[in-house]
Amino acid sequence: MGGASTFQPITLVSDWRSSPSVTNMALRELASLEKYLGLRKPNKYSTQGDKKTPVLQNNAAPPLLGLVTIACHLVKEAKRPELLGDSAESRAVVQQWLEYRVTKVDNCSKEDIKIILKDLNLYLHDRVFLAGNRFTVADVLMYYGLHPLIVDLTVQEKEQFTNVSRWFDHIQHHPGVRHHLPPVAVLRNRIYTSRHH
Amino acid sequence: MALNLTINANNPPLGALLAAEHVKSSVQVSVEEGKDNRLHISDSIQFSDANSISRYLARVAPALGLYGSNLMEQTEVDHWLEFSARRLCDQPSLTAVLGELDKALSLRTFLVGHAITLADLSVWAALKDHSDWLSQGKSFPHVSRWFSFLTSQVPFSSVGNKYASKKA
Repeated sequence: MGGASTFQPITLVSDWRSSPSVTNMALRELASLEKYLGLRKPNKYSTQGDKKTPVLQNNAAPPLLGLVTIACHLVKEAKRPELLGDSAESRAVVQQWLEYRVTKVDNCSKEDIKIILKDLNLYLHDRVFLAGNRFTVADVLMYYGLHPLIVDLTVQEKEQFTNVSRWFDHIQHHPGVRHHLPPVAVLRNRIYTSRHH
Repeated sequence: MALNLTINANNPPLGALLAAEHVKSSVQVSVEEGKDNRLHISDSIQFSDANSISRYLARVAPALGLYGSNLMEQTEVDHWLEFSARRLCDQPSLTAVLGELDKALSLRTFLVGHAITLADLSVWAALKDHSDWLSQGKSFPHVSRWFSFLTSQVPFSSVGNKYASKKA
């Protein structure tokens, strides 16, 4: 558990975008990522600026700033470089989705949600993970980031975004990933069978 | 306990070989070539059907979860073993069956549960060398994704490279 106890407790609210707990989300995500990676000693974090950007205080080196930067640092600290991609191409794809997460998914408007899910649904059509056939840290952070969007979807919408739902369900069942988040029910058989995509 | 799997190199039971490959860390299984497919357990007990061999291997290594993790999943695994034996193996045309499989895989990464089971091994093995799958695979996107995902995993790629080509 460790670091999680030093953060403010979070109350679940339906409108997550205007909620002050969003700022803590990044810190909770980093605490969950630490646990997934099996890092024994939790790091000390603080936040900076109006957007409460997470900051990792490093004893020797200068502090690290930003969710993605810190997440990549933790992966290296845990000696799991394959989670950042195992080829030049997949490393680039992982960075692309990490950037997508913080620029597009975080603080997106209601109209953006549908566009994000539509694009992602198309992209995941022939992929098991975001970087193809291997699980990476991009899957973890996109799962954390999309969770509040997916929670609000209706059964019909989840079926409409079939590929997103399948990917999401797979990641939330990936051993050790779903720490601070409640499970989302995803049907495994289609109900609205007449719909074509 | 040491088990001995004899395979006919002209018609290797890919599903059984995959099961043997998956359980080899928990159970000692030796594989050798012979005139027919047979899992030798004792002088009085031997299995010759590929699915029976897979079932036995999955049951002697329960910790691997190849037979699912509860009663419901076990039944689903049985369903897919039957599906591969009756509707995929030795069938001239797969078009209708592939449509069914595609629908089942649209919301699933693996056929049963959230991890690999005999269902995946057996259905993958039945499709691997089927001429209908090779020619029509592209029309079934969900089966395609699932198939190439499995093919990229280690036991599948090694078994595929070692045995599948001999079948032709």
